[in-house]
Parts: sequence; structure tokens; C-alpha cells
Amino acid sequence: MKKRGKGMGCMWYPIGFTVMANPSAATVKVNEDGTATLITGTVETGQGSLTVLGQIAAEELGISTDDVHVVSADTDATPMDTGAIASRTTYVTGNAIQLAAEKAKNILFDVAAPMLGVRPDQLEAKDRRIQVKGFPQSCLPIGEVAAHAQNGAGTPALGSASYNPPTVAMDPETGQGKPFSTYVYATQIAEVEVDEETGEVEVLRIAAAHDCGTAINPMLVEGQIQGGISMGVGMAIQEEMLFDDEGRQINPNLTNYIMPTSLDMPDLEVDIVENFDPTGPFGAKGVGEPTAVATSAAICNAIYDAVGARIYNLPATAEKVLAAIKSKDHSDRQKYLPAG
Amino acid sequence: MTDDVKVADKTDSLTDLKETDEDLRLPSVVEPAHFPVETIDTEARHQTPAVGQRATRPDGRLHGLGQTKYIDDITFPNMLFAKMKRAGISSALIKSVDTSEAEAMPGVAAVLTGREIPVNSYGPSYQDQPVLADERVFHAGDPVAAVAAVTEQIAEEACERIKVEYEPLEPVYDPVEAMKDEIRVHPPHSNIYATKRIKKGDLEKGFAEADRIFEGVYSTQMIEHVPLEPHASIAQWDPNGRVTLWSSLGRITLGRADIARTLDMPINKIRIVGTIVGGNFGGKNEITTEPALALLSRKTGRPVKMVYTREEEFIASTTRHPFIMEYKTGVTNDGMITARKVRLVLDGGAYCSWSETTLGKACILSAGPYNIENLLAEAYCMYTNKTMTGAMRGFGAPQVCFAYESQMDEIAHKLGIDPLELRMKNAFHEGSASPTGQVLQSVVVKDSLEKAAERFGWKEDGQ
Repeated sequence: MKKRGKGMGCMWYPIGFTVMANPSAATVKVNEDGTATLITGTVETGQGSLTVLGQIAAEELGISTDDVHVVSADTDATPMDTGAIASRTTYVTGNAIQLAAEKAKNILFDVAAPMLGVRPDQLEAKDRRIQVKGFPQSCLPIGEVAAHAQNGAGTPALGSASYNPPTVAMDPETGQGKPFSTYVYATQIAEVEVDEETGEVEVLRIAAAHDCGTAINPMLVEGQIQGGISMGVGMAIQEEMLFDDEGRQINPNLTNYIMPTSLDMPDLEVDIVENFDPTGPFGAKGVGEPTAVATSAAICNAIYDAVGARIYNLPATAEKVLAAIKSKDHSDRQKYLPAG
Repeated sequence: MTDDVKVADKTDSLTDLKETDEDLRLPSVVEPAHFPVETIDTEARHQTPAVGQRATRPDGRLHGLGQTKYIDDITFPNMLFAKMKRAGISSALIKSVDTSEAEAMPGVAAVLTGREIPVNSYGPSYQDQPVLADERVFHAGDPVAAVAAVTEQIAEEACERIKVEYEPLEPVYDPVEAMKDEIRVHPPHSNIYATKRIKKGDLEKGFAEADRIFEGVYSTQMIEHVPLEPHASIAQWDPNGRVTLWSSLGRITLGRADIARTLDMPINKIRIVGTIVGGNFGGKNEITTEPALALLSRKTGRPVKMVYTREEEFIASTTRHPFIMEYKTGVTNDGMITARKVRLVLDGGAYCSWSETTLGKACILSAGPYNIENLLAEAYCMYTNKTMTGAMRGFGAPQVCFAYESQMDEIAHKLGIDPLELRMKNAFHEGSASPTGQVLQSVVVKDSLEKAAERFGWKEDGQ
């Protein structure tokens, strides 16, 4: 008989990594027509980071995503970056980009101020215009200001900056310290169906609510959550590298190493939890890794809810689930002791 | 007479040839574009403010149209293809490597062994991994030689003709067994190559305050990243002694420093071009074949490409750490956690890679997003003669989350408290102190619990 169950997993995850500094640097150049080029040393590894980083530069300059072209990943031409690792790109590289774009923007303000008859600190960049705060009708197109900066004032609008998350080294004995600048939080809830006769688990649906600070690009955040859950499903019930007695892998291929396909994917209901982190670029933190964290716990807790069998060892393959169902009454590995 | 005929024939044949040549020419038709030339942009890409827009990715369109150039799509004139010979034995001394038969094969341009690498060790934390194993094999996927040939097939066959003589050593595969240090993977060093400890409050006092104590042992498996695009690189050594590497590496700045170290070259003589990566998930955060390809390119004066097979992706790239996790948690009858003791044992595989970071993150996160005044978390990472473990999406967090959330569920069921309510009672709030004493900001654990529960309909069946 097939039985349904529900289970949840809740988690926290840091942005960036510890042990050593992990800075990023960036350069932003505003072209004469008010479009811009962002130069970054990070690598696009499929997550859409270059789009998000372009949006951060665009926001600071008051222009659109499409107005920013992103050049990346050439050690001869792009500034240093600690890399596409540790869910740090939006937060760390993003902060460097915001700072770099601000420097370029300040050059535009210096040039525009006498043109508009105000001080530079009275200006803002918005909707492709440099305008007076509180008096948006007093404005100039950003392209006009950028062209004048380069061809009139002789101060082309560009900026370079770097950022490193502030941390405090951990005490080696107690671990006390500030290893990361900030963390994200999330909950995933799974519904599964377990076949009591075979132990086979089908993950029916997962609701996921993730914090990433400000979602710079909600569509890409959702994509990350969906992809992370697919890895979590694999970890929960399918994937496992196996070795023979001589330390050689038994299943180093996609025939015998089973991972989720689109047919194994549950229905996903994804929510972004509204949040703002004052230390991130426009309040953003990160989202890449945390998406794969809570899934296996949620699924295994749902298996327990369905058939009363607790899984202590991943993955929860049909064989293991069946064995746990059969032995659940007499060999519960979880010791339950009164205090004292 | 005969000569005249010959001349006449020649002229005729030349005319014929010319005509034939014309005939043979490909039709003078411009090939159609391989993609629709009209670009399609979403409104969101053009709107201000830019932040918060569901802007489409320019690279997404290239992927969809098959126009993205991954390493496998990039080719250079006279490029060679490299393959590596894998040890196939998990722990052994290398007595000899005979490459003569491979080198004599037609189509083989160069063979490289570990002894030819200026500094034959690398790694992001400890430099414990050889580019090509020269004295000792630490796991079965270790490369012991590399071949550059005109085709992948010839390079592969040449690898089979390389003869390596091994003296087998006693291996150790189980991390708990490895902890005893009776068999050392990297003698004279201890197998315990990284440890982490977090201590907060008074554990004994915390357990004394508990009404009930829960204990459990959880474990997780070794997992491969399985990116669609395997690890791939092309090296091109130029006549000025400068090398350019096109690589699927996800962190080119630090990778360049690692390559400079192994090649014993100034950093400014090395250029890395990070190509569009077909999936990383943490598996492409360190150099792999790049130094060997650079040296093969120097030896041959030709560009050299290597793309991992799917099997190599499993046996010769990093993987997710298997964890053994002991959890002991004290709770009051109304579900408040008073103390938690955690002990983590990580199977660190043959090399450190990103284990130190994984261990640190796992240890810091191991208590979960909950206010726990009295805590002790200890973590140990062990060398074993298995495929190296390293960075993978979550850096140890998915493993400890499986343990702490399984135990939270157990506690909820045993105490008769709704799992959502138990978590709400203990969850971090704005200003909570983390296990390392850090005051947390922008904390939304409870919001995420409530939002997911609402979306799922957690309370709908009356539980």
C-alpha cells in the first residue's frame, strides 16, 4: 500500500568563506552614450551571475540591465576575484561592483553639477538621467553627461573598487568569532508517497521558502532554488558513489549512478522570503548553495511521517526504506533516554 | 611528334582540370545563419530600476541556440589531444614508469610524467596533491602519466602502452579506521588533517537542565557533482614562453597562482581565460590538468586540449564528503533545546582540497538555525585512499542539516509537539547569537518557516 507523508527541513547558511580573506574587485566604465561596461574576474558557471552583476552595476548608475555589457574571466584583462564559490558572487563581487559603479557615477555627478547649477551631492542617477534630488525635472540624460565627461571635461566616467567581507578570526579553542559577514535562512517542506511493499519513495511536491536578502533577479533566484532542490532529491533518495574492496569505484557512469531526471522532479512551489541585508549590494545576500541544503532532511522526515521508518543513512533507497519499515518496531537506532 | 602530343594533352588536361575545378567548387551560396539574427529581448532587460527585474540572461539565448562555445567547441590549428593514464590501484609506491612504447607510437607527440613537473604538488589549503603521481599513488583515480597525440583515440591507446610498476601498500578506506592512524595515507602525517571545535556555554549544565535527552548517529554518502560539461582545458605555450589556458575553472585568479606555483613561473607569464562553464557546483574550484597540459604544449609547441570523460569526472574530480554525525540533544518537556553535542567525522579522501572549509562550515552550522546556549561541536577530517572530496554546493551544510533536522523531527514526534511549532520555539531571531557568538542580522528563519508552511498547507490536515 502506498502511504503519503509530509516533512520539513529548516536551515541557515553563510555567504562567502572563512579561513582566509575572499575579496573581489571590479571596474565599471560608462560609455559616451550612457551605456556601460562592467569588467569582472568572476566566471559564469551557469548560475546567471553575470546577469545579476550587470543589474547591480545598472542599478547604481540608474540605467537598465541591457545597458550594461559584462566582460568577465580573463586574467590578462579582468581584475582579481576569489571566484564562483561559496555563494559569494552576488554579495562580495556585487559589493565591489556597486562601489566601482559609485565611483564612476561620482565622476558623472562632478561633471553634471555645474551643468545643472547644483552641488554634486545634490544629484542622483535614475531612469537613465542625472537629476537633482527632489527636483527630477532638473535633469540631463546620462549619455549627455557621460559624453561631456569624456569629450568636454576630459574625465571619463570609470571606477574600480574591491570588497572583502569583514570577519573576526575564530578562537582555535572555542571557535568564538565572526567567521562570516552574513547568513541566509530557508525552509523546505516535502510531501512523499512511500510504497510499503517495495520501499520506493516518490517525492510528490516541495514547498521552498528561501531568504536571499533582496532578490536582484527573482527569476534567477527561483531557478537556483529549483536546481538546488533537484540536487537535494538526488542526495535524499538516489545518488551514491560506490567502491569495491580495492578502493575502485563501482559505478562511475550515469547508467549505474542514479541521479534525478525531469521525471523524478516533484512539483515545486517556490517563495522568496522578503528581506534586506544592510551589508549587501542593495540588500542582497546570496542563494546558490543554500537551495540544496534542506531537501534531504525534508524528504526523510516525510518518509517517517508516511510509514514511521526513520532513515539514518543517506540515500534513502527503496532497499533501505523497506528494511527500515520492516525493522522499525524492534531496532530503532535512535536511543531515547530519560535525562540523568 | 610524341612530345607535341604530350604538350597538346597537357594543355587539354589543364583546361579539363580548370573546368573540373570549376565544377568541383562548392556552390556559391551563402550559408544561412545558424541562429535567428533578430534578437528577442524581454521588457525586463530594458526597465529601470534594474534591481528586482526578471531580466533574461544573454547567455541563455546562446545556450538555447547552441551557440555557446564550451571548451569542447573550441579548436586551434594543429591542436593535440591529451589523455591521462590512471593508476587503478588505490595505494602503492611507483617503482618505475616505462613510456618508451607509447612514445614510439605514430601520432604520439609527447608523454609527460610527474618527475618532469617543476613543483609536483597543489591544493587550495594544503599542497598535498600531485599533478601526476610520481613516487606514490594515493587513490585509484590518480593520474600517473599524460600523453599528447593527434587524436584522443591514439592518446588513449598510448596510455594503455605505458607500463607502470607498483609496490602495493596497505590501504585504508574507512574514515573511522583511518582515525586510528595505524595506516597512514600521507606518511608521516596523521590522517586527521583538519579539526574544528566550537564551544559555547556549559554543556553539562545544559544537559542537566533537560527533561529528555536524544541521541542519534547519522551518515551520508559520497556524491559527484555531475556537471553537464566535464572538466576541460586547452593550453597553448607561445614562443615568448608565456602560456594561455582556456579552462572550465570557476576561480581563475587563484587558479593562476596555483598554476604558477606548479610550473615555477611568474604569474604574469600565465593567462587563464575562463570559458562559459557548463555547471560547476563546487567541482571546478581547483586546477586539475592545466599544469600538465601547459607542459605538454611546451614540449610539442602545439596547443593541447583535454576533456575529462564521464568516468574521469567520477574517479578523478572532487566529490561531496561522506559524513558520520553523532548528535546528542537535551530538551525540556515543552520543547526548548538546552544543550547539544555534535561530533562530525568526515571522509576526506586522498587529498585535502576544500576539506578544511567544508569542515569549518559544517561545524559552525551543525547546531542548526536554533538558539542553543550550551553547545559543543567537534569535527575531524580524515585522509582515506579514496577519491578526493572537496567543495560541493553546501560545503558540508546538507550533511549536517540532514542530521539536525532529522533529530528535530524525532524530538517533535517524541514530545508530541508539531514539528513546525518546535522549530518556531527554538529558531534564531534578529540579534540571536550564533554558535560562534556572532550577533546575527537580517534573520528570517521564522518567516521562512511560516511562508513554507502556508504555501504547503502544513496545518490544513489539522496536525
